[in-house]
Amino acid sequence: MNTAKQNSRCSIPQTSTLNQTMVNVENLSLQMGDKHILQHVSFDLPAADITSLIGPSGAGKSSLLRCMNMLNTDWTGHIQVQHTDIRHWHGGADILRKHIGLIAQKPAVFPVSIADNVLFGLSRSQQKENTSALLQHCLQQSALWDEVKDRLDQPANTLSIGQQQRLCLARALALKPSVLLLDEPTASLDPRSKQLIELSLHELAQNIPILCVTHDLDQAQRLQGNILFMCDGKIIETADCDSLFNHPQKLETREFLRWSVCDCD
Amino acid sequence: MNKQRLLLPIVLLGCIAALLGGLSLFWFLTSNAWNFFQSFGISALWQTEWYPYEDLYGFLPAILGTLWALCIAMLVAIPCGLAAAIVSSELLPNTWQSIARLSMEILAGIPSVVYGLIGLWVLLPFLQEHLNLLTGHSLLAAGLILSLMILPTIMLMAQDALDSVSQEQREAALNLGLDWNQLLIRILLPQAWPGIRSGLLLALGRGLGETMAVMLVVGSLDRIPQPFYNILEPAQTLTSRIGREMGEAAFGSMHFAALITCGLVLAVFATIISLSAQRKGSIA
Repeated sequence: MNTAKQNSRCSIPQTSTLNQTMVNVENLSLQMGDKHILQHVSFDLPAADITSLIGPSGAGKSSLLRCMNMLNTDWTGHIQVQHTDIRHWHGGADILRKHIGLIAQKPAVFPVSIADNVLFGLSRSQQKENTSALLQHCLQQSALWDEVKDRLDQPANTLSIGQQQRLCLARALALKPSVLLLDEPTASLDPRSKQLIELSLHELAQNIPILCVTHDLDQAQRLQGNILFMCDGKIIETADCDSLFNHPQKLETREFLRWSVCDCD
Repeated sequence: MNKQRLLLPIVLLGCIAALLGGLSLFWFLTSNAWNFFQSFGISALWQTEWYPYEDLYGFLPAILGTLWALCIAMLVAIPCGLAAAIVSSELLPNTWQSIARLSMEILAGIPSVVYGLIGLWVLLPFLQEHLNLLTGHSLLAAGLILSLMILPTIMLMAQDALDSVSQEQREAALNLGLDWNQLLIRILLPQAWPGIRSGLLLALGRGLGETMAVMLVVGSLDRIPQPFYNILEPAQTLTSRIGREMGEAAFGSMHFAALITCGLVLAVFATIISLSAQRKGSIA
């Protein structure tokens, strides 16, 4: 057990000093029925950078994200954001989720206008303030402003899927999150939308930590930053992008990079 | 192609039959009502006296009684039905959800005369005792029995509508930090509203058309309550009047035509409610 804990304990090189750590996950485990979804997962996210989470299907990547914003609550271990345990977050899980933006694989826009979608998460008092600057800023950050600036009052479901995903990104950004979690955000998008979202992520990563689940190894390389490789609920290897793709240390990582399979039992 | 050749005439035949059925019903109602209005004029709708043997046909007490009973029923059934649907859909575990659903489906399938008998044996003595009424027959009793009858329709339709809101929408709302109350008010109810509205319309239709249960508990007194908002007095509804007097009215007589006119008034109410709800829905 100790060996397993030791193996899956990772710290991101370069930026993992305590004062630069925004998110600290320690010994996180999740079990559903008899199945161990996550096993003693530990890692840190630096205050501003992209971290890509790669691994085969069923590795527990999405479950990890759902634990980090308390959509899953049955986990054990510790998750700290800004040195505060998220189980004891002031105001509870609802307030926590305003600080930890999570963007799902499938865009889910609400059946209201484009502008109202972006401002949907704001409180009533925040919505009464002058929101046009915030609206423009968020849509620019998500590389959508130029495409929608003349039709902000139109229903959001008139947008293409790629635009809807960027709208979801803008909606999350309107809450000024401390951390951004993305669950395969470009999985079903066209190359142009994919490129725009990646550009946005690069910009955003200068200010906030981003954890991005992706199946696309090319995308993980394009995003640069750090890489977490997960398999079967455990973190197998952690390294910066160049090291992991050019000099993987673990046999499982080499297998996955070469054949996209992982046998880590 | 052969299947299409076979199916198309059947579908067209069914469609024509439905159309003819609707038209013949409309013709039957309007032709009898026309005869009635030719003799007594449209003013019969706001006359208050109903004595068929003296050729007095005032519709107002029954119209008011129908509206009162329906209002009471909707006022009770809408909040209860919606609350039951929300609890069942959002809070109960799957097993209890199935049990709640099955219970409502059984309630929806019970014949209306059984509700009437429950009203006679349980509700009327209860009202008589606790509200100090002469018999318990009243508009309140009719409204309460009606509310019990339309509750399953509202609850089941609302539950289906709430269940149809996708998990992605729910999680997207939660990811923005919305709490359960906000999720319900800002996501679930607005997105489920078309289905809930259909349930309310169906319930209104059933409430308007219900005869037997209402007839047993409303008191069938052709008089406007004094004052008009006194729902503790016995009264009359359009359906109850038709049900009670149709057996006594000779076919083709003026009494018969007056009762058919009651049916036309009900049909007009149902149409107005349906059209206004659809119009509001399209505006929304």
